Amino acid sequence: MAEGSKQGQGLPPAMTRLVRELSRLPGIGEKTASRLAFNLLGRPREDVIALAEALLEMKERIVLCASCLGLSDSTHCHICSDPTRDSSVICVVEGPADLMAMERSRSFNGLYHVLHGALAPLDGIGPDDIRIKDLMARLSGEPPVAEVVIATNATVEGEATALYLARLIKPLSIKVTRLARGLPVGGDLEYSDAATLTSALSGRREI
Amino acid sequence: MPVEECSPAIVLRTRDYSESDRIVTLLTLYAGKLGGIAKGAKQSRRRFERKLEVFSHVMVYFKRRPHGELVFITRAEAGDLPPFDLTDDLGKIAIGSYMVELADALSREEAESAGAYRILAASLGAVARHGASRALRQAFELNLLRWAGYQLEFQRCQICARAPAENATSFVFIPSHGGIVCQHCRAGQTDTFVGLSAPSVAALAQLNSMPVEAASGAQGAGRDAEAALARFMATILDRKLRSVDFLHRFM
Ligand SMILES: [Zn+2]
Ligand SMILES: [Zn+2]
Repeated sequence: MAEGSKQGQGLPPAMTRLVRELSRLPGIGEKTASRLAFNLLGRPREDVIALAEALLEMKERIVLCASCLGLSDSTHCHICSDPTRDSSVICVVEGPADLMAMERSRSFNGLYHVLHGALAPLDGIGPDDIRIKDLMARLSGEPPVAEVVIATNATVEGEATALYLARLIKPLSIKVTRLARGLPVGGDLEYSDAATLTSALSGRREI
Repeated sequence: MPVEECSPAIVLRTRDYSESDRIVTLLTLYAGKLGGIAKGAKQSRRRFERKLEVFSHVMVYFKRRPHGELVFITRAEAGDLPPFDLTDDLGKIAIGSYMVELADALSREEAESAGAYRILAASLGAVARHGASRALRQAFELNLLRWAGYQLEFQRCQICARAPAENATSFVFIPSHGGIVCQHCRAGQTDTFVGLSAPSVAALAQLNSMPVEAASGAQGAGRDAEAALARFMATILDRKLRSVDFLHRFM
């Protein structure tokens, strides 16, 4: 930290501000942020405008799908609006990146529900802090759902979430399944390759 | 070149540092509480035979860095350490989370922590085998508090040192005195107190002299005892434990 904060010294305020904003991004320390800022400074004006516009457009256009809470640029995302998808099966994932990993595997043809987190007792994150109520509302509405595939990560948080969801959903007489083990060491769905996800999905078991 | 050290350890906390690296806090048997960085922890099954996440019981290999506060974790193996598998039950996850958070809160880095490691290992092992129970939670709290230097007293009045009357039906626990105080001595006290029933005092006295391994089959003390211990811990901890709400909801 002491080493890092020297980086900002001697820079004009406009550079310091950019370095500060960039270093708030995950995985980017002050050193990397400085390198990115100097790189941007050296680029043509059009490049920098294109980046700034892309950031603003993303913020203005991307919303959460009203049904699955995945990322979308309209009220309902392209998956939820696709009539060829099987609306009787819902795959529950922790985040949008997990949904994308499942889609890349091309092994799932149902719909999704994005929780935007997982139960994490050590971070004080409980059931009311993630989008579980939205899921329950979907399950008691139309169209009817026959199976919920819980595809939360193979971590303590992901397992806690799966146990809690199973407890809530089973009384509704909906089949609840969990992806088979075999996810990577870290347990994160988003870093799993297509073959791993395909076999985890086909080997899913009822819980 | 720093030498490689190794110790049995329990993972208390983790934080992803990048796509593949992880920062972990470990309670070790031989090296105190340690913060370390594990490069490739989320990818290398060869070096991280047992994964580094909360509750993991690992033989950890590490190198100290000359100036860094974080040690370099080079490997984590299963060795002959029993795993603590708590992920088949929400109550187990809830009490296990509370146990690691309390052990973290009551221990300091660079300080000896073999006793805390042993208590936590025995407790998580008991949770994995027998499930969550109030007696186990209370025995863990009492044992860990004693390790941290807080010996609570439930058999004698903390002021006059007399054992309470045989027929006493209610007691008070005064956190600032670290134990029960008799009706007679209580008269002059202005410090906050928590009322305790006779069965709760008896159960606490028993749990207080029992290793956690034996607590799963023991009688737990009631809600009043839970409140008394919580009140005491609030006086020595600088923050509310984040896992407490989860614990109350699922245990
Ligand atoms: Zn959608
Ligand atoms: Zn007395």
